[in-house]
Amino acid sequence: MNVRNALLSAASAVALGSSASAMECGTITLGSAISLTGKYATNGVHAQNGYEFAVSKINESGGITVGDKCHHFEVVYYDDESKGDRGATLAERLINQDGVQYMLGPYSSGLTKAIAPVTEKYRIPMVEAEGASRSLFNKGYRYLFAVLSTSEQYLASAITLAAEKAKATGKDPSEVTIAIAVENDPFSLDIRAGVLEHAGEHGMRVVLDEKLPRDLSDLTAILTKVKLVRPDVLVISGHSKGAATAVRQIGEQRISVPMIAMTHCEAADVTGNFGEFAENILCSTQWAETLTYEDPIFGSAANYNAEFKAAYPEYAEKPVPYQAAQASAAVYVFKDAFERAGSLDREAVRDAIAETDLASFYGQIRFSEAGNNIAKPMVLRQIQNGRYNVVAPSAFASHDLIWPRP
Amino acid sequence: MTMRRLVFYGALLALSLAAPFLFPAFKTQLATLWLMIIVALSWDMTGGQMGYNSLGNIFFYGTGMYVAAVITIAIAHDVGEYTAASGGGIYTWTWGQYFAGLVIGTLGAGFFCAVCAAVIGWITFGLRGPYFAIGTLGVAIAAGELVSNWDWVGGGQGITMPNYPGDFERFKLLIYYLFAALGITLFVFVSWLYSTRFGAAINAIRDDEEKAEAMGIHTLRYKMVTWAMAAVFVGAAGAVSAFQLIHFEPLETAYQTINLGIFMVVCVLLGGKGTLWGPVIGAVMFHAFKEVTWSYFLGWQWIALGALIVVVVVYFQDGLMGYLRQRRPDWFGMRVDAGETP
Repeated sequence: MNVRNALLSAASAVALGSSASAMECGTITLGSAISLTGKYATNGVHAQNGYEFAVSKINESGGITVGDKCHHFEVVYYDDESKGDRGATLAERLINQDGVQYMLGPYSSGLTKAIAPVTEKYRIPMVEAEGASRSLFNKGYRYLFAVLSTSEQYLASAITLAAEKAKATGKDPSEVTIAIAVENDPFSLDIRAGVLEHAGEHGMRVVLDEKLPRDLSDLTAILTKVKLVRPDVLVISGHSKGAATAVRQIGEQRISVPMIAMTHCEAADVTGNFGEFAENILCSTQWAETLTYEDPIFGSAANYNAEFKAAYPEYAEKPVPYQAAQASAAVYVFKDAFERAGSLDREAVRDAIAETDLASFYGQIRFSEAGNNIAKPMVLRQIQNGRYNVVAPSAFASHDLIWPRP
Repeated sequence: MTMRRLVFYGALLALSLAAPFLFPAFKTQLATLWLMIIVALSWDMTGGQMGYNSLGNIFFYGTGMYVAAVITIAIAHDVGEYTAASGGGIYTWTWGQYFAGLVIGTLGAGFFCAVCAAVIGWITFGLRGPYFAIGTLGVAIAAGELVSNWDWVGGGQGITMPNYPGDFERFKLLIYYLFAALGITLFVFVSWLYSTRFGAAINAIRDDEEKAEAMGIHTLRYKMVTWAMAAVFVGAAGAVSAFQLIHFEPLETAYQTINLGIFMVVCVLLGGKGTLWGPVIGAVMFHAFKEVTWSYFLGWQWIALGALIVVVVVYFQDGLMGYLRQRRPDWFGMRVDAGETP
């Protein structure tokens, strides 16, 4: 922590040249309840790092110009312990006790679902980066905006790939069998819904449809069933902890399925933690450092990747998780909206956010009426020799799919 | 009722009604205080007055939440489509639909929970002592797991209620007065109930069930009716909580066996089991303690709470009221003849 802060403040001192300009700037306080403990802690920390990185990056590049006055961001955090009711209480606390007027999202769809009614009641604009379930966007919330793509898109291209491979080997896609094992939470249930929709289009058969145990710490029973039903595709979704447990136990139990697709591989650092076991697994990602997006604050995606690693050395040996990148993008949306609104009036800022059409290092950001980002595609990467290579969709693919998985 | 008592109760009632205006920043905390009073008082109906320590009363709270949610959603929309993980559409409620949901949902929750209590009671009241406690806890845990795997009500996603269609501060007032009305009704009801033959009968069950049975009391019927009456209030309180919280999930909010499910027992132990005022005073003490630790000792709150539970269970088993009764029996109308030795 201290090393990181020292690096950040050194960087900002250099960028600002003098501290005088910082003195004249006002402060815009953002608030966030985030999972620093509990089962979502890994990703909660990724998201917080993403927020903090963006805040220091934006502040050191001149802050936010509202009208003709400059402002700096600061963020107040509370630990929601990965619990929804706690998150909702803390959101009230941020708004009532800390006087926060603008919120950044928590981690996970579940926590976002718990907090969104609170921000909605108080008419507090919330730009969130970590809640992807489509069930968030049918409540008619006016103050909720999400920079990420919705969950059904995560593993859709894996199903398309499975259909293509079936055709290539002379089989009909409808002969492909799928096993699904997902966490019992809004995000993963929507992953499942998306996979079912796409599998249905190809007439594929779902041979196993299981929910992961609540604490995500043992999948042995499910994997034993997978061994028995021998599916062509295995889909797993359970945030970072689920991904870590799955990869470890797939390796230990020598599960051999031609295609394994899951979420949160990078966030769980499955290559660093489990090496060989993670080979050829397909991982969905909202963002990759190899993509050709860029913006004036963070530079290119590759530049974001490099600077983030410099600011947070703990990521030096592993990929920067997209959870951090999209968290930064959420802060960037606020900067852009404040500047376009030209005022600190909450309704004006809310309207400006709704009209966002922002090219960023994270991809294009444009919100639908319901508040989700409809301008950015998802990509699918495969772990090949310990590296994450984009294999789908074909417009972004840099490598060929390795199939079947040995 | 003496004049002094009348003044005392009148002042308390006035304070209860004025509280959200006296402390406008604490409306939500005050509403939660009433919730604690309701669950503690209703727990004491079986736990303190009848001698059946249930650890499963949280079942009625969670079930009340879900009944209210399903009724409110069903009034305006298709429940299965609304709760689907795949989303789609935009769902809104009119004022009329919202309030119809609030009224029918709360009453329906109370009624449904009473029926559940009678059915579950019929099965579990054969158990005594710790077996009853564990048996009812099992019911609550199983119900939470069942609901969290029931897709029609959203499964592990939880379920989202409509937002209040009007001004938010008014909404908080509404929730406060709903809880307060429930709490006051419950208090008046139990203070009447304990003075009747019915009250004497359930006390007899607590003191010696075999003897009560021998005296001609149909114990199972009394036990089922008592638990059903408690369930009405817990279920209705759950329904109001559902409207208050808006989004809740099955295991950590609705069927929260380890939080509210235990807190209600701690409240009663703190105040004094089997007394009219014990659960109320215990709930106030507990809630104050919890709010203070959550606000000023964040990070240590669970340790502080654990320490409180240990201290209460080890040193104050009879609670504050029990302690007072022992020290000042004359306050409770008991005569102690000083100076006379047996």
